[in-house]
Amino acid sequence: MMRKWINSGIQKKYLKYMVALLMLALFLSSIGVWAYVHKNMTAVIVDKYEFMNEKMGISMDNLYKKTDEVTAECIIDDDVQKSLKTKGLEEVEKSALSKYFAYIDLDHVSEYCYVDNKKNVYTKSYSKISYEDFEKSGFAEKLGDEYAKTQWFWAKDELFGNGEEALFIGRYVRSMDYSHEPGMLFLKMDDSFLAELVEEEGNFREEIAAGIVDAQGHICMIWYPENFQLDKQAKKTIKELADSTSSGMVLNAENVKGGILSVYRQKESGMLIYTLVPDEVLSKGMNQILMVMLGIYLFVVIVAVGASIYLSRIFTRPIQKISEAMTGFDGQDFSHTIELHTNTELDQIGHSYNEMLKNIERLLEEIKNQQKELRTSELNMLISQINPHFLYNTLDTIYMLARINGEETTMKMIQALSKYLRLSLSKGKDIVTIGDELENVRSYMEIQQIRNENLFQYEIDCPEELKKRWVLKLILQPLVENSIKYGFCDIFEGGLIWISVREEDGKLVFTVFNNGTPMDQKMADRINALGTYPIAEMKECFPDKQHGYGIVNIITRLRLKYGEDVVFAYEVQEEGTKCVVQLPVDGTENDEL
Amino acid sequence: MWFSFRWMEQKMMNYRRIVAAVTAFILLLGLAGCAKQEKKSVKNTSEEIVIPMILTVDPTTGKKNEQDLVEAFNQAYQGTYRLEVDWVMETEEEYRKNLKRLNVTDELPAIITDLRMLPSYYQMMIQEGRIEDLSSWINEDSEWKDMIEPTVLESCSEEDGSIYLAPISTAAFACSGVFWNQSLFEEAGIEKFPETWEAFWECCDRLQACGITPLALHTEGTAWAPMLLATAELSDTEEGAAFMKELYPETYQNESGLHLAETLKRLFRYTTNDAMHTDFDVAFTNFVSGKAAMIPNGYWMIDQIPEDFAENVRFSPFPGNKLISSPETFGWAVVSGYSDEVKEGAVTFLKFRTLFNQEEKKELLKQDGGNISQLLQDYIDAFTGDPQIVPNYQVKWNSILQEETLGLYLPDLVQGKMTEEEFVLRADESIRQYEEEQ
Repeated sequence: MMRKWINSGIQKKYLKYMVALLMLALFLSSIGVWAYVHKNMTAVIVDKYEFMNEKMGISMDNLYKKTDEVTAECIIDDDVQKSLKTKGLEEVEKSALSKYFAYIDLDHVSEYCYVDNKKNVYTKSYSKISYEDFEKSGFAEKLGDEYAKTQWFWAKDELFGNGEEALFIGRYVRSMDYSHEPGMLFLKMDDSFLAELVEEEGNFREEIAAGIVDAQGHICMIWYPENFQLDKQAKKTIKELADSTSSGMVLNAENVKGGILSVYRQKESGMLIYTLVPDEVLSKGMNQILMVMLGIYLFVVIVAVGASIYLSRIFTRPIQKISEAMTGFDGQDFSHTIELHTNTELDQIGHSYNEMLKNIERLLEEIKNQQKELRTSELNMLISQINPHFLYNTLDTIYMLARINGEETTMKMIQALSKYLRLSLSKGKDIVTIGDELENVRSYMEIQQIRNENLFQYEIDCPEELKKRWVLKLILQPLVENSIKYGFCDIFEGGLIWISVREEDGKLVFTVFNNGTPMDQKMADRINALGTYPIAEMKECFPDKQHGYGIVNIITRLRLKYGEDVVFAYEVQEEGTKCVVQLPVDGTENDEL
Repeated sequence: MWFSFRWMEQKMMNYRRIVAAVTAFILLLGLAGCAKQEKKSVKNTSEEIVIPMILTVDPTTGKKNEQDLVEAFNQAYQGTYRLEVDWVMETEEEYRKNLKRLNVTDELPAIITDLRMLPSYYQMMIQEGRIEDLSSWINEDSEWKDMIEPTVLESCSEEDGSIYLAPISTAAFACSGVFWNQSLFEEAGIEKFPETWEAFWECCDRLQACGITPLALHTEGTAWAPMLLATAELSDTEEGAAFMKELYPETYQNESGLHLAETLKRLFRYTTNDAMHTDFDVAFTNFVSGKAAMIPNGYWMIDQIPEDFAENVRFSPFPGNKLISSPETFGWAVVSGYSDEVKEGAVTFLKFRTLFNQEEKKELLKQDGGNISQLLQDYIDAFTGDPQIVPNYQVKWNSILQEETLGLYLPDLVQGKMTEEEFVLRADESIRQYEEEQ
């Protein structure tokens, strides 16, 4: 199935790199996202519990303030103040004062004890605490040197009798007017007094740990999730904070072993309330996020791969089409052109391929034609070579007969024809010496002089050393033939054909001039422009085949032999027509050898 | 009660222009001199030291009492000390009650006022070491000491030489005399305020004969108005004057005590019908509404008299050229229990206050004979007229007598329900009660 969709090398490579890049991007981004989310998630969780911690601390402040106000009200109460005066209270007043403390505006007071400066003890009616009991309890020492501040302390209940630890609120009760010994007031608080601070914040205990610690660092109350144990280091940190004099949030989300610890220190009481967010709580949230993130990434990968396959096919399919067309081309069938409509450069490639195919087809056709012609010509030559001796013997016989009969002209013509044929055939070779080429054209001109008496004279100008050079055969004869055929078509005598061979800058230059009627300039231009056409198209420049065939033949042969640097030009002059052929070689080497 | 309330809380209002000038002067002088030296002593402190204090807001005018002084100090010591005042809208009685409450709840500010107005509370604060002994600060600072009039310093000093109340500079603003209605006096054909007590009683009779109520009095609080007149009259004799100088007299069952009771009873013959069981505010209203011709009170009342009525009001010393004054009632104390830095700042402020008060006096006396009101001129004349200064009974007598006995038994005395002997017996009972608590 996948092969059906992914069958291109380019596509495979594209997909391979794309997936690799995507995975790299996702990996890096997941690290970044994880780090960022972890940081923020931790911050959110920590902020939440830190805020909660602070809130509980502030509630503790308010609780302290409340106890301060309530005990202050007790202190300035008229009966309490009167109890401190020298005269003291009547029995009835004492009884009333004992009950007064039961109605103070403070919840969770389980027991109370007021001791005036005359050793009178005021408690709940059932408590039956004597002054001796109070002295034994050692609670009097709990208030220390403070003048009248409200004091919270966590202690064993040696006063009211059950020995369990509890929070006590104690305060000296001093006279407002006179310097008397102070009384002392103690309130024993239910556990719910402090527990409400924590429990009001909801059921968070399944997640985090919280606790209340007194000013001496003793843990008073704790709330832990299951299987949680407060680490020693955290305990030590809390203990150290209990000794500090700072207040408020004395520890803000500090990393300790096992989690993140926040601690609030209540200023006046010195009590601490802390929360510890275990590492599991932080990672629990992260795992969920990680799973969601992986899910999203998986989805992204699938979508990206699918989209990539689909999108890559838009490009690879036409490439594949081009590839298939190219690889499937057998050199015979030119009908398999490519039709692309992608609105991209690929369309241009397809179009260029089609053009190339057409050119190849045309060139192939051209080559075939040329080969056909070549084969025909070679066949003809072979045929003519079959009996050259027979032809030459025959011509020799005719020559002998003409000589016996004293026919000079016939002898001369037969001699020229024999020479011309021998040079034209030249044993089937393509390359001849310039001397032979000139001899050939001379034979031809002599034959033409016999045929057209007095029509023209000729001159051949060629240095001796150049006659040994090599050149493609039958270059000059068609030019001379054209000179006679077209140049001298309007005259009957006085014609001149001048042939020159020179070497200029290492190149052979052949010039054929006739003083006959000048060539039509348009014809000269058309011939001179032949060099700009492809070889295959040159014939089409003279579609009527009446003119130019010989010229096209020469140029074709020259370009095939010497390449595109061959110069072939007609120059129309006032007194005649000059044809210049410049070869890019000096003819010192016979490349057929 | 009314006396000290008005004195303490509105003293600065009397001469706003003076205060403004003094403030400017103090700022320049203080910064250049004394203040500059003090600042040097705490220069190493990087942060401003906050000195907490409680002051009252005048319930009638809404003006913050001592605001000029506080602002001048805070400006002069900006960056070193800052007096952070909790301005409370409380009556004098509420304020003093609050002071006691703040003490027993251990919440007193660093500087407290009015302490000397509460004799037993003051003694308790000393005994329990709740306030600082400032004697070493003052005695070792000659500049500060020289600012304080000897009588003022003496009044603020305890017998053992300790000083718990940082004194103001002068007693010039601490004197009480008699405010009288000139129109009513003229109506009765009286041209000037009587100079002797015989003349005073005659004056009362004459006013009454003309259908004018001579005195604006009351019985509640510490019976401030009648007690001023009665104690001033008592001091007219050597024996009486000596009695008034006694701190916590052992008994009132003597010549002086009985004479005082008689005088009180006599005074109430010349007062309004609503004087029983009412406080000073009723007496004050009677005076400023023209229903009574005289009311005794201090310098601080000048600014409280309505402007359109003030033209008729004159001020004179009590007969026999007496003024009642106890400058120690203006002494402010530094509360122990604060850090040394805060206490040092509090002492610096108290010294600044002495200087401020000294400049205030100079400004006041500079106006003598100038374009000032007749009433103010009367006060200056009275203060500079070499008067006999009678101590304020509020600082000499026990709290129970002032806060309970007078209010309870004075109406009975003046209404004839109780004899003078019985009255002084009750006064002695207050002494016993007070002693019991010591």
